[in-house]
Amino acid sequence: MKSPLILLLLAVAVSSCSTQKTAQVLPPCCRPLAAAANYTDKSLFQLESVWTSDANRKVKLGVLRGRPQIVAMFFASCQFTCPLTVSDMQRIEAALPENLRTNTGFLLISFDSERDTPAALKVYRAKRELSNQNWTLLRGEPDDVRELAALLGVIYKRDANGDFAHSNVITLLNAEGEIVFQQPGLNLPADEIISKLKTLSSP
Amino acid sequence: MSGLRQHTAIVLLALVAGTLLRAAEPDMVCVSNGVFRPLFRSLTDAKEISVKSFLLDVEPVTNAKFLEFVRANPRWQRSQVKQIFADEKYLLHWAGDLELGTNALPEQPVVWVSWFAAKAFAQWQGKRLPTLAEWEFAAAASPTQPDGTKDAAFQREILRWYSATKPEVMPVVGKGAKNFWGARDLHGLIWEWISDFNSATVSGDARGDTGLDRQLFCGAGAVGAKDVENFPAFMRYGFRSSLKAAYTVHNLGFRCAKDL
Repeated sequence: MKSPLILLLLAVAVSSCSTQKTAQVLPPCCRPLAAAANYTDKSLFQLESVWTSDANRKVKLGVLRGRPQIVAMFFASCQFTCPLTVSDMQRIEAALPENLRTNTGFLLISFDSERDTPAALKVYRAKRELSNQNWTLLRGEPDDVRELAALLGVIYKRDANGDFAHSNVITLLNAEGEIVFQQPGLNLPADEIISKLKTLSSP
Repeated sequence: MSGLRQHTAIVLLALVAGTLLRAAEPDMVCVSNGVFRPLFRSLTDAKEISVKSFLLDVEPVTNAKFLEFVRANPRWQRSQVKQIFADEKYLLHWAGDLELGTNALPEQPVVWVSWFAAKAFAQWQGKRLPTLAEWEFAAAASPTQPDGTKDAAFQREILRWYSATKPEVMPVVGKGAKNFWGARDLHGLIWEWISDFNSATVSGDARGDTGLDRQLFCGAGAVGAKDVENFPAFMRYGFRSSLKAAYTVHNLGFRCAKDL
């Protein structure tokens, strides 16, 4: 928990001499829960469902309000495409200009309500070196996962081994939780989603 | 030995009594333990999915019942509903937020409802939507048998509906014959939402070419399917795979299920 954070801070310190807002952007775990009443009609943050983070904290999606989010669904024991999707997201993260990187969230939501406990997600975070600052990992109840997948247009099915066959899509939410762009597929270039992100941050 | 037998008998009795008592939910029937054989499977999918006994609404939800729901839950009224939860045609045929009007009779099945709205209705009633396996298992029953798939007359009747021109005016619920479980109108009136409608297709599947992703395409799909004669089931799979959760359709409604 501590070392990736320190590494990240070091990385930030080394890579950039300009003044950055890193210190002001609290990681999702520590931000106050935003008021629920005034989300837009298209906002995914309207969902009432309660999710658990890898830090074992209960949150609603509204907690992510305030910066654009790059979202994908996955499961930690996935041997096939999820690692690629996460790599795609990491490539986007790495390719972002500094000011955008500190102002973009990366959200992974598990299909696997049974096996992806907070502890399992925590292991996954460490294994994939996902920074606390930018990345949120959530698990939820099967019904809520089904509902969120429906909103993201993700199709999935649990097979006899307890694994999940699923469609691959990376979704860009704006700071209000509205879907502004979706990129289906794997191993995709980061350019398009980054240019969308740029248009979001400079309206 | 006899003690054990006695114990077993008591447990069995308790189970039976419990089932009977709980099955006393009004307007629902008990669909008993069974096995659903999916029409399409990937290599890793189970051949058979066991369906645990559950309760199912006898009839699809009507306009009258849905009106009660939106009255009690204003956020599901036509003018209030959020865009992500229902498209712009939601309850299109009603005269107003709380008025059915002449195009929506109280006893007709409610249609033009999204998956989100159906799910919310079910929750409001302390119920849920049936799963694909549950719905297909219940709907496979003919009037006389739990498995009507080999009943030629029953299959012809279903096919007739799938190929018939739709009547000008949507019929009211409850006119269809009771099937083996006592449920009506699973075929012949409307299409119905299920809880896991978004598991019914995979295009651009995670595992690439595992068989899952050729499952829904006409022709090629039929080769891998379990029962190539079950044309109505193909149609249902195809229809479900075309849906998104906020969609509303003129002949798509729902009924609820409940755990025993």
